[in-house]
Amino acid sequence: MKISRKWLQQLVDLSGVKDDDIASRLTMLGVEVESYENFATKYDGFIVGVVLEVEKHPNADKLKVCKVDVGGEVKSIVCGAPNVAAGQKVPVGLVGAMVPHNQHDPDGKPFQLTRAKIRGVESEGMICSANELGLGDDKSGIMVFDGAANQGTPLSDYLGLNDTVFEISLTPNRADCLSHLGVARELAAAFSKKPIQKRVKITEDGPSINESVKVDVAAQDLCPRYSARLVRKVKVGPSPKWLKDGVESVGIRSINNVVDATNFVMLELGQPLHAFDLKRITGHKIIVRRPAKDETKFTTLDAKERNITPDMVMICDREKIVAIGGVMGGMNSEISEDTTEVLIESANFNQSSIRRTSKALGLSTEASYRFERGVDPNLTIRALDRVSEIIAQTSGGKLAPGIIDIAATKFLPKRVELHVDHVNRLLGTRLATGEIIRVLESIEIPCDKKSETVIMCSVPTFRGDIERDVDLIEEVGRVYGYEQIADSFQTKLNFDTRFHGNTSLDELRDLLAGAGFNEIMTNSLQPADVAGFHDTAFVALANPISEDMAAMRTTLLPGALQTVGVNLAHGLKDMKLFEIGRVYVVSEKEQVIGRFVESPKVSIVLSGAADPTSFDRKESKFDIFDLKTEIERLLTFLKLDSWDFISYDTTKEYEQSLKLFVNGMELGIGGRVGKAALQKLSVDQDVYFAELDLTSLLALRKSTKRFKTLPKFPFASIDLSFIVEGQTPAAEMMNALRNAAGEMFRDISVFDIYSGEGIPDGKKSIAFSMALGSEERTLNDGDIAGFIEKAEKTMKVKFSAELRRQKN
Amino acid sequence: MEMLEEIQKLKDEATSALGTLKSTDDAENFRLRYLSRKGALAQLFEKLKEVPKENKPALGKSLNELRTFLENEFETSRNNLGSKSPTSDGSLDLSIPGRKRYTGRKHPLTQTADEIKRIFTNIGFGIADGPEIEDDYHNFEALNFPPDHPARDMQDTFFVKSEEGKYVLRTHTSGVQIRVMENNKPPVRVMMPGRVYRNEAISARSYCLFHQVEGLYVDKNVSLAELKGTIAYFAKEFFNEEAKLRFRPSYFPFTEPSAEVDVNCFICGGKGCKICKYSGWLEIMGCGMVDPNVFKAVKYDENEVSGYAFGMGIERLALLRYGIDDIRLFFENDLRFLNQF
Repeated sequence: MKISRKWLQQLVDLSGVKDDDIASRLTMLGVEVESYENFATKYDGFIVGVVLEVEKHPNADKLKVCKVDVGGEVKSIVCGAPNVAAGQKVPVGLVGAMVPHNQHDPDGKPFQLTRAKIRGVESEGMICSANELGLGDDKSGIMVFDGAANQGTPLSDYLGLNDTVFEISLTPNRADCLSHLGVARELAAAFSKKPIQKRVKITEDGPSINESVKVDVAAQDLCPRYSARLVRKVKVGPSPKWLKDGVESVGIRSINNVVDATNFVMLELGQPLHAFDLKRITGHKIIVRRPAKDETKFTTLDAKERNITPDMVMICDREKIVAIGGVMGGMNSEISEDTTEVLIESANFNQSSIRRTSKALGLSTEASYRFERGVDPNLTIRALDRVSEIIAQTSGGKLAPGIIDIAATKFLPKRVELHVDHVNRLLGTRLATGEIIRVLESIEIPCDKKSETVIMCSVPTFRGDIERDVDLIEEVGRVYGYEQIADSFQTKLNFDTRFHGNTSLDELRDLLAGAGFNEIMTNSLQPADVAGFHDTAFVALANPISEDMAAMRTTLLPGALQTVGVNLAHGLKDMKLFEIGRVYVVSEKEQVIGRFVESPKVSIVLSGAADPTSFDRKESKFDIFDLKTEIERLLTFLKLDSWDFISYDTTKEYEQSLKLFVNGMELGIGGRVGKAALQKLSVDQDVYFAELDLTSLLALRKSTKRFKTLPKFPFASIDLSFIVEGQTPAAEMMNALRNAAGEMFRDISVFDIYSGEGIPDGKKSIAFSMALGSEERTLNDGDIAGFIEKAEKTMKVKFSAELRRQKN
Repeated sequence: MEMLEEIQKLKDEATSALGTLKSTDDAENFRLRYLSRKGALAQLFEKLKEVPKENKPALGKSLNELRTFLENEFETSRNNLGSKSPTSDGSLDLSIPGRKRYTGRKHPLTQTADEIKRIFTNIGFGIADGPEIEDDYHNFEALNFPPDHPARDMQDTFFVKSEEGKYVLRTHTSGVQIRVMENNKPPVRVMMPGRVYRNEAISARSYCLFHQVEGLYVDKNVSLAELKGTIAYFAKEFFNEEAKLRFRPSYFPFTEPSAEVDVNCFICGGKGCKICKYSGWLEIMGCGMVDPNVFKAVKYDENEVSGYAFGMGIERLALLRYGIDDIRLFFENDLRFLNQF
């Protein structure tokens, strides 16, 4: 919202106060000033000039050399505008002036005018376009002023821009500051000034309003107060300069003297007003009611047909709807050039009703914005008097005697009791009773001292946000100044041990980062078809930003592939990534929140080189066993002691895939990602991906076991090599050997697989390295020989495997 | 003593032969010639049987030493044959860099969150977690956002397509406050990190999701002064000892009084720059004293306890701390970006 300093000065004495102080004090009172612009200084060095002569530039076809009278002095200025001509009154920037907007710069950065030679001709200034001055979009030519301008007049004076405009960002509770009056009140408190009370001068004339107009408020729940005044013999026309400049200075378009007056008063006092052409109100009767069943459409002032719903509040005459209460008037009763009798509505509407209406219509107006935040119900009459004063002054209208005022109740100040010790306890201060009263009264909250420590406050109706003692405590803190409250840091040492967070996730991140993985974080919103491809029970959004983000992810895979794609596009080919994040599905059963299940997952992504090329070794690419290595690293870290991988050939996501099972539960899937998915993202190298379910894995995690005495006797290691059918799974053979070793088993791994010369067709040689041991003694040759015999037998029976004798 | 000379001769000869080994075949030949059962060394042992008794111990010792020496040297030479490592030719170039391996890193947002968690767990905060798909009650109503209240416009909300309007993607982690208090008696001192969503157009300054850390402390006599002191401690730990703070009155439905916290711009030192929009201050979090209506919602006695809550955006803090100019970088996962942290 824009607030004008000139306007504020009508309401509070700000003499000698710097713009910067206004901005910082408001901000520190919770009325945040985002920026401010001082137009007087913005146009320092710009004046109105008169073009005396225009000649062609000797060295350039498109340029002209102009003689410009800038008030007692004639300057020679080179100008490229096609529309420059002798006799024009134009804005001139002199050497040293900052041109607000460079129209040749893509960012439009301001630049300073210097004495420069343009194609060999010296230029002592610049004639500016509206765009260059930041006064409009037109950059086709220079601005030309009408006859009223005098050469030498400072541009800011000519434009009436000797003002500072503050851009204020208000939190929704501070509806009272949606006006110059409200902001002035804050400034009065900040600078210890009294607000200026202006007397409104009105004279009533002719028959009373009650003889011409009737008002009936049928829906008083939606419209607690409806006040109106009538002005006759109005001549609608353009607004005088002060009124036009007033509304335009804060960004409102000037329309005519009547509409501008209503807007002006809203901006000044915060009361939205609406002016009806009484001639067009059938039966001269206003009825405030809900729409009838058959009233479903209404055309608002902006010429748009709106859909009406039954709980909206309508302003009607005897026949028809004439306005949507608190939101926007209708075309059928708007002020036009031939309007002579103006009925001015100054009403108060129910906050949530207006908000619902505004949402339903998709229409937020200056009026609805204020009403949904709350307008002082005691402002209606003051606003009517002020607007009548202006309309009478600017349109020659005669104000009808009397006011129509239909109110549901008397709107009295709220009485709120405030305990001084509560103030000090919550703020951590030691404020005295008198100090608290002084602070509250500075923002116009009268206080009565009920006792030494209890204050009775009368909260004026313009502060609808203050209802409880705690709200008053905030006011005390805010106006006294948070800065004045000394920091305290004496935290009692009651460490909260109930909440440990998920430290396992932190540990996994550390493990994976330590194992050379880069952690990634990807968007949890996806296109619905992507989410649905992986799991049809996906969570869809009712109001997505775009189709690309219409659903919650069902797997971390698409984000991972996108990441691989992004990096390949930058020429980075080797990557080892992980993500810990949630996936979301709708379940059959009721959950804690609806039927939504959020499961934490960990993904592993391998692509490119497992071992990059080095001076003495060849590069090796990641393969499925690297993926298994990483999964097994995780499982080992979590101290799981057994798991199974079941392999599948092709699934919808993978070309080579594995499912991980622990204790019979499926805990994850992974593999080499299928070509179709890769092509979509222009990934032209293999990607190995696995996603594991963290809820189950972490539940299965074994806590630190009790310490086991370290082995007293050394292990024996033996190598065994078998010839078996080519299809025999190594994992099963390893299990058989493990079982054969029984108590003696310590470790096993595959160290060689070979087929070809020396091995019968269709067979392979597979060699295992085993560690055997005993708790009681060092194993002797007999123990080893016994095991080898047993192993040979078992393997023969189970796999028809032939033990290859070692050649010693 | 020709036996002793023979031992020395064999040693010299075998040593120089070892230096010429170039292949596994060479090695096998060497083994056959010197070390096999019928090799030169074995033959000397045979000869030992014939020497006079009194010389046997000394010669035997020498022969055994020679055997150990040759076996060890042979083993070393043979092992070096397999690789062409620069160690095999004796001229080791130690200036060659080590082999490249992956260096893993945690995401900068994880690192920032970890740092924030560390700072607060040091002063007794626990850590709690909550759902991202949240019901209207926990995301809004229990936090004192009445239905049809303009405060709901402060956060552009994603709604889940199911029972229209009832479920949302949480717009802040504040809902976890409610869940924690519903299930735990005061005093409560807890941090709540997590992912939150806002229905805003994606740009350099805003993304459809981000991460927050929420803090809550409820106890007897918790005051605004205590909140200020705690945030000041955080700022000194997270930014630097010189960090200056500014508490600006603000509004959140679930706190009263409420404040926005600004830290003095560490980029320009408060003089004003593009990052701080020429104000000299950077907004880092919102905070305030828990509103009595929130206590009512979780059945805490508002006359018994008071509390403070604060919430900060992890992305925002990371952007400020590292001078990152585009929030989208966090979610693109460009390794050239990730590896900087």
